[in-house]
Amino acid sequence: MNQGSKSKRLRSYPPKDRWNDWRELDSKSWPERVERRYSLIPTGCFNCESSCGLLAYIDKDTGLIRKFEGNPEHPGSRGRNCAKGPASKNQVEDPDRILFPLRRVGARGAGEWQRTTWDEALDEIAARIRKAIQEERRQEIMYHVGRPGEDGYTERVLAAWGIDGHNSHTNICSSGARAGYAFWMGYDRPSPDHANAKVIFLVSAHLESGHYFNPHAQRIIEAKQNGAKVIVLDVRLSNTATHADHWLSPYPGSEPAIHLAIARHLIHEKLYDREFVRQWWNWSEYLASEHPGETRDFETFERILAELYDGCTFDWASSESGVDAETLREVADIVASAGNQLSTHNWRSASSGVSHGWQVARTLFFLNALMGAIGVPGGTYPNSWNKFVAAPIHRPPHPDHWNELTWPQEFPLSFHELSFLLPHLVGEERGCIDTYFTRVYNPVWTNPDGFSWIDMLRDEKRIGCHVALTPTWNETAYFADFVLPMGLGNERHDIYSYETHDAQWIGFRQPVMRAYAEREGRKVSDTREVNPGEVWEENEFWIELSWRIDPDGSMGIRKWFESKKEPGTKLTVDEYYGWMFENSVPGLPERAASEGLTPLEFMRRYGAFEVERKVSTVYAETVQASELDDVAEGPHGRVYTRAEKPHGANIVPLPSPPGDAAGRRPVGIRVDGEVKRGFPTPSGKLEFWSPILAEWGWGEMAIPGYPRSHVHPDNLEPGQIPLIPTFRLPVQIHTRSANSKWLDEIAHTNPLWIHPREARALGDLRTGDLVRVETEIGHFVVRAWVTEGIRPGVVACSHHMGRWKLEGQDGQRQLMATVELTSEGSRMRLRRLQGAHPWRSSDPDTERVFWSDVGVHQNLTFPVHPDPISGMHCWHQAVRVTRAKPDDHYGDISVDLVKSKAVFEKWLGDCRSARSVSPDGTRRPYTLLRPLKPTPAAYRLPDRS
Amino acid sequence: MPDIQPGSASSTRWAKLLDHTRCIGCHACSTACKSENEVPLGVHRTYVKQVDVGTFPHARRAFQVTRCNQCEQPPCVDACPTAAMHKRPDGIVDFDKSICIGCKACIASCPYDAIFINPYDGNAEKCNFCAHRIDQGMEPACVVVCPTNAIHVGDLSDPVDPVTRSVHRDPVTVRRPEKDTRPKVYYKGAHQATLDPLAAKRPEGGLFMWGEQGPVNSALSGHPDTPNSSAAAVLAWDIPHRAPWDARVSLYTWTKSLAAGIWLVAAMFVLFGALATDSSTWRWTVPVLSGVWLAATGGLLIWDLKRPERFWMIFAKPQWKSWLVRGAFIIAGFSAILGLHVLASLLQSNNMSRVLAWIGIPLAVMTAVYTAFLFAQAKARDLWQSPLLPPLLLVQAVLAGSAGLLPFVSDAEIAQGAGVSVVTVLRWTLAAACAAQLLLTVGEVTLTHSTAHAKLATHEMVQGRFRMFFWAGVILVGFGLFAPIAPVEYGALLGLLAFEHAYVQAGQSVPLA
Ligand code: SF4
Ligand code: SF4
Ligand code: SF4
Repeated sequence: MNQGSKSKRLRSYPPKDRWNDWRELDSKSWPERVERRYSLIPTGCFNCESSCGLLAYIDKDTGLIRKFEGNPEHPGSRGRNCAKGPASKNQVEDPDRILFPLRRVGARGAGEWQRTTWDEALDEIAARIRKAIQEERRQEIMYHVGRPGEDGYTERVLAAWGIDGHNSHTNICSSGARAGYAFWMGYDRPSPDHANAKVIFLVSAHLESGHYFNPHAQRIIEAKQNGAKVIVLDVRLSNTATHADHWLSPYPGSEPAIHLAIARHLIHEKLYDREFVRQWWNWSEYLASEHPGETRDFETFERILAELYDGCTFDWASSESGVDAETLREVADIVASAGNQLSTHNWRSASSGVSHGWQVARTLFFLNALMGAIGVPGGTYPNSWNKFVAAPIHRPPHPDHWNELTWPQEFPLSFHELSFLLPHLVGEERGCIDTYFTRVYNPVWTNPDGFSWIDMLRDEKRIGCHVALTPTWNETAYFADFVLPMGLGNERHDIYSYETHDAQWIGFRQPVMRAYAEREGRKVSDTREVNPGEVWEENEFWIELSWRIDPDGSMGIRKWFESKKEPGTKLTVDEYYGWMFENSVPGLPERAASEGLTPLEFMRRYGAFEVERKVSTVYAETVQASELDDVAEGPHGRVYTRAEKPHGANIVPLPSPPGDAAGRRPVGIRVDGEVKRGFPTPSGKLEFWSPILAEWGWGEMAIPGYPRSHVHPDNLEPGQIPLIPTFRLPVQIHTRSANSKWLDEIAHTNPLWIHPREARALGDLRTGDLVRVETEIGHFVVRAWVTEGIRPGVVACSHHMGRWKLEGQDGQRQLMATVELTSEGSRMRLRRLQGAHPWRSSDPDTERVFWSDVGVHQNLTFPVHPDPISGMHCWHQAVRVTRAKPDDHYGDISVDLVKSKAVFEKWLGDCRSARSVSPDGTRRPYTLLRPLKPTPAAYRLPDRS
Repeated sequence: MPDIQPGSASSTRWAKLLDHTRCIGCHACSTACKSENEVPLGVHRTYVKQVDVGTFPHARRAFQVTRCNQCEQPPCVDACPTAAMHKRPDGIVDFDKSICIGCKACIASCPYDAIFINPYDGNAEKCNFCAHRIDQGMEPACVVVCPTNAIHVGDLSDPVDPVTRSVHRDPVTVRRPEKDTRPKVYYKGAHQATLDPLAAKRPEGGLFMWGEQGPVNSALSGHPDTPNSSAAAVLAWDIPHRAPWDARVSLYTWTKSLAAGIWLVAAMFVLFGALATDSSTWRWTVPVLSGVWLAATGGLLIWDLKRPERFWMIFAKPQWKSWLVRGAFIIAGFSAILGLHVLASLLQSNNMSRVLAWIGIPLAVMTAVYTAFLFAQAKARDLWQSPLLPPLLLVQAVLAGSAGLLPFVSDAEIAQGAGVSVVTVLRWTLAAACAAQLLLTVGEVTLTHSTAHAKLATHEMVQGRFRMFFWAGVILVGFGLFAPIAPVEYGALLGLLAFEHAYVQAGQSVPLA
């Protein structure tokens, strides 16, 4: 393994046995040798989903966090971090952070706040929720989370309340990729085993962003040093692209054409793994359904397969993508050379950009499916095999009703909640919300069409009470009724597990000051005792809130938040996690005992535990005889059983393919006579042809294909070009890192990337000149960055920047501009009054802020573009770029809400509603993954009235 | 305490390998360093410069982890007046904040712009390999954090150390080897477009791809118009850089020219018999004027220190290679002469005064000229490496001296023997000095520039950011040629100041990192 060898004379980390009392020389007093004493407490970084391990160095003399370094015990991050890891310290010390619970006084959004108490806030919110539940208005309670950063805790809370009230950010992020993967293999996420790959094919920028940035980057570079070839598809020059052997910058949305041309090459040249395809694809089902007249044998399928993609030549793909055919051929040969050591990865990126972007992931995984590079070393695994979710102390049943505001009938196949449509759905009076929680979520800023969000949030009839759970100010919190400060990553508890590589591990985020206090012998029963100000954490908040919703237990809610040891008393986080680590994580109790620790003590000490290393090729496992009882077999070899599902410790959510008519459950698939585990798809195999798509009204999309996207040249009006608004920067994370001065200092603006060719066409446009970018519903004014790092004919603008605060409001002063928000009829405008500037605070560094530009909030000018299948918001925009008009100012935003509604309706028109396509009267195929999956009864479409 | 003391082995020679075949430009090293060393906003011990190279579709982004090179022959150490900046036996170039006077000589001399003044304590600071960690057997913070293990520290004296092996076997390079510093930070897989600070073009509009370039007066990175690389290269990201020596230093060279020049010109007049030893001009005007300007010079020097209250350390802890130290002693010697001169005047001793003129002339010349060596010690600044600088400074002293004396000498004072007034002699001297100054300036800007840096600095001086000062200087000094027939001495003095400013600032306007 090429991790790069290090000098043996120096150590990377303090030895574990000294974490309780580590002595280190002070850098500031140097060269005077002043020794400082530290207690080293592990936690998880919360600056992206990777949740890399961190070690907080707590100075034993000052009792303050001196710094964060990496946690070597963390299997994903292996002690290393990206820039955002060490910068966690800034967030703790951020002078602009919210320290006390606040409640609004005056009109919502008017910016007047009053300090309140947790008691008052809890009582008021609990009373609302209790009333809503008692009045059977359960669907009016919604919890809207951006970055969950944890597995199962909050879903459990919602289940305990009996509400289908989970809303997420998935559909502005990864729905496209999820759908593409799920239609192949049931599982909706990939876990590329980069470290062992020969060829790494990225439709993403995982050397600099996304899940799982640092863990993946480590392994990609390792593989590269071992000789792996790297292919990167990205319209703009990313840091990832710069490391590629082949950087392809396709016309946006044409990625599937490239994948298909490679697939055609593999098929035509017979370079694919025929045996794998024969055994593991559902070709027989496909032939039976789509080619009933043909002989149902593999050779026939191979012939048809070749015919299907015959037109996908390199020349064709070249004309679609703009990448020259010769390069495509070279890349195809590299892919062919990988054998089954082909790790591919698409997340966000192209699949979240365009209509039917899910085909980006589907056609990419097509290559793995052809090469047999699935679930084998160096290939791509399903995420669920590389993830471990431990069962919690109580498991309340899932809700028995269906929330139409999050799961509208128009999108029976969506992955998942149509979160970004909320203002429009509420606007159409499909429902209203009584109590709305936002947590690590800033829809006003992050979602498209933010003005519609403001419009909705301001209306107390549509949103009865908005509770923002957040450590820092954000654009959405300005429109809240309660702003409740929750801890940063090192100030709260979470349990999590991610598919960073071929292994299963759990990580434990903990309030480090609490763990420190306990280490020093002080008992802490409430995280508020150790957090700054009155900052709390969600875990304890939910327990407390649930008790107040159901104080006497009569509603059946309280019991899920009671201690098991002492029934009738409140569950504590110690018991919650203590129970989980003792009972639900194989190997952990033994490992802890070997160090003389309880499992909870072990996790508090080391922060992570590896459950398994190197997961086998699960699909090819033979199903044990004990699981085969009264079996029945479907026409294509799907095997059903009556045997109980054996107990598995890992409760990672899995698809639930349908059983047979007699009520048996699917257990495997017969391959060459043997019953193998297979995949959790209806067929049990990899679904080249998706019966789900075919049965739910999308037969023409059932096999991997290339639908022309909404920004395909054929669909653009004259003068329009595509804008790529999604790309991320290595040092920022959405809206969550504005509170890090070291990161803001590095990256604080988002000029429009434009190729010199376009710049010339705009009359010798220079870097720094103002341009106006017109979308379907409005425009924004931004500076130009003239660069060779972008395809000519396309412009791009990074998505982190353009944070703002309203005049007179608190906020993140080093990265928020002060703006004026005005409306005039249906038109809403934002004008920048002041950029970032130095100011005096408890941190002298704030007087050294040298930048004023904080970028432009482009997302406000984007209408919603829900993909009719995945439900993904298709981010790319068809825009017109001109030089700024004389009255335009930097940062100007203007949007017409009438137009935004019209675009919503236009896209809704492309949907195929469950009402018209459902083959069985349900709202959604039950097999598909869905957070907080309700009872099967709730899946039934309501009767037409 | 630490179980191993790797730095203590006398043969140890720490070096770093920055492997740019692995670096992903993530800036983890930058923030880990900020955290470990509590580095304030706006200044950096290490950062990742980024250059976009090439044209679509074959563009790429080249990274350069940029920091102190731990030079084997560190000019910063030579330049430091108090040995605050020093090289340890294990090769680490470290700094001691307790004796740093904040003179910025090290900054001016580092050819890699690796040093900054910490705004909170006024002391010079830079990457020191996290010496406090190394000495405890721990890797530097940047090494630990790097996701891809792109940063390696190793011991060059250990043949099996991976860094030693790589340095010996891989095609590694260092930054700007021509600076004769023998860097011990080796780069593997780095691109010429980042290694050469002038290879990439500075973007317009004060913008980088994700950030502002910083205050306009300090944006010194990238080439302003015709970069050194013929592969299209644009500086995509960099930190704001600063010139260490501001207008105070320009002004100091001018006041010093006046102080040394006034006395020097008068002493020459005395020796050549043009000025009487018992004239009130020689007895009082000259030493007092010179003393006042010298005091101003000293004041400016101290004012320019970031730790002015520590200026005495120059004398208490002298590091003799430093021209700041040598200069301070020269100035001290010269002030002693001035003091004795006043004493001689008080005693009305013509003999003593004549002897002083003999002894004082070399000191005055040294006072005028040592700055050339101080500037030459600023190895970073190619413009100042000119062999014409010592004569230029001498000429400037004569120019300033004659112009500075003129207003204080009465027309009636007759030069003995010559039959003309002292004023006339001074006027001809001024004209001659102006002519010489102009000739040397022409030589300075027209002689072939040995390096691209010197060329760019000259360009900035003559046609770029400092051209107003430069041309004001040339024109006003040009008028000085008419000194014998017109009262142009104030103009010539102003011209000299303008020229000095252009020269000092343009010298520092070239990007180094
Ligand atoms: S990749 Fe960076 S931001 Fe993400 S969890 Fe790891 S250290 Fe934190
Ligand atoms: S941490 Fe490593 S990969 Fe990241 S910029 Fe620094 S050297 Fe490069
Ligand atoms: S001259 Fe510059 S690079 Fe060399 S040791 Fe000194 S500070 Fe470091």
